[in-house]
Amino acid sequence: MDAQLNGVYSPSEDVVAREIEGEFIIVPLAAGIGNMEDELYSLNASGVTIWKLLDGKSSLKEISANLAGEYAAPLVEIEQDVLGLVSELLSRKMLVELTSV
Amino acid sequence: MNSPLSKPSLYRIEGGDLPLSGKAMLELMSAVLAKGRAFRFQARGWSMNPFIHDGDVIYVSPFQKKMPSVGEVVAYSQPTSEKLVVHRLVRRLGDKWLILGDNSVDAIGEQVPDSNLIGRVTRIERNSKKVWLGLGPERYLIALFSRTGRLMVVLTWIKQGFNRKL
Repeated sequence: MDAQLNGVYSPSEDVVAREIEGEFIIVPLAAGIGNMEDELYSLNASGVTIWKLLDGKSSLKEISANLAGEYAAPLVEIEQDVLGLVSELLSRKMLVELTSV
Repeated sequence: MNSPLSKPSLYRIEGGDLPLSGKAMLELMSAVLAKGRAFRFQARGWSMNPFIHDGDVIYVSPFQKKMPSVGEVVAYSQPTSEKLVVHRLVRRLGDKWLILGDNSVDAIGEQVPDSNLIGRVTRIERNSKKVWLGLGPERYLIALFSRTGRLMVVLTWIKQGFNRKL
């Protein structure tokens, strides 16, 4: 599933995400269990920054614009990175799309 | 302005590759169980031998409406250290539980209030196969022998008898 720049996304109810002991841990629950052995994920620092901005209110375009204001990178490049990560998170059912604005 | 963002990425953590402390595991487990889901992870240590071995994979489920009872194996937050422990409920003591590891040589154990119990162990897997002993009706006998400090004696006796038959 491809993310859209005008889409609004938030973490799924079927996921537990916690920053614990320096590691950002995501435990998918879609299979009915939190499987520490086979289904455990993490994000790198940039991924965590983006995850925390997925608040169910801001579109990816707004999130990208915020990041472009804070980081020395072209907006287009940031938008591509955000779209890429959000698409992967969507495909793994870790995010839900709330609306497209 | 911050330095450029590195490319964001999601990566998978292989089981056992994340050296989380007991406290961290407890936090993660509590969050999963609070959503009404089971938590599957690898047990460490031999305190529940012979029913749970080091490296066995165990499932902890929320109590929900069924209250914990004698003989059940539970995950709890240790009152003294707040660490995650998986041991057996062997006796009710007022508003607390006497909890013991099956491999204990005495019946001292520790007294744990209800509020420290996180969930019950509902399945044990060893080498990807279900372990049948330890969670069924035999749990009452295990608790009985355990709280009287005779579990290891009885298990040794059973093992010797079994070996003689072979």
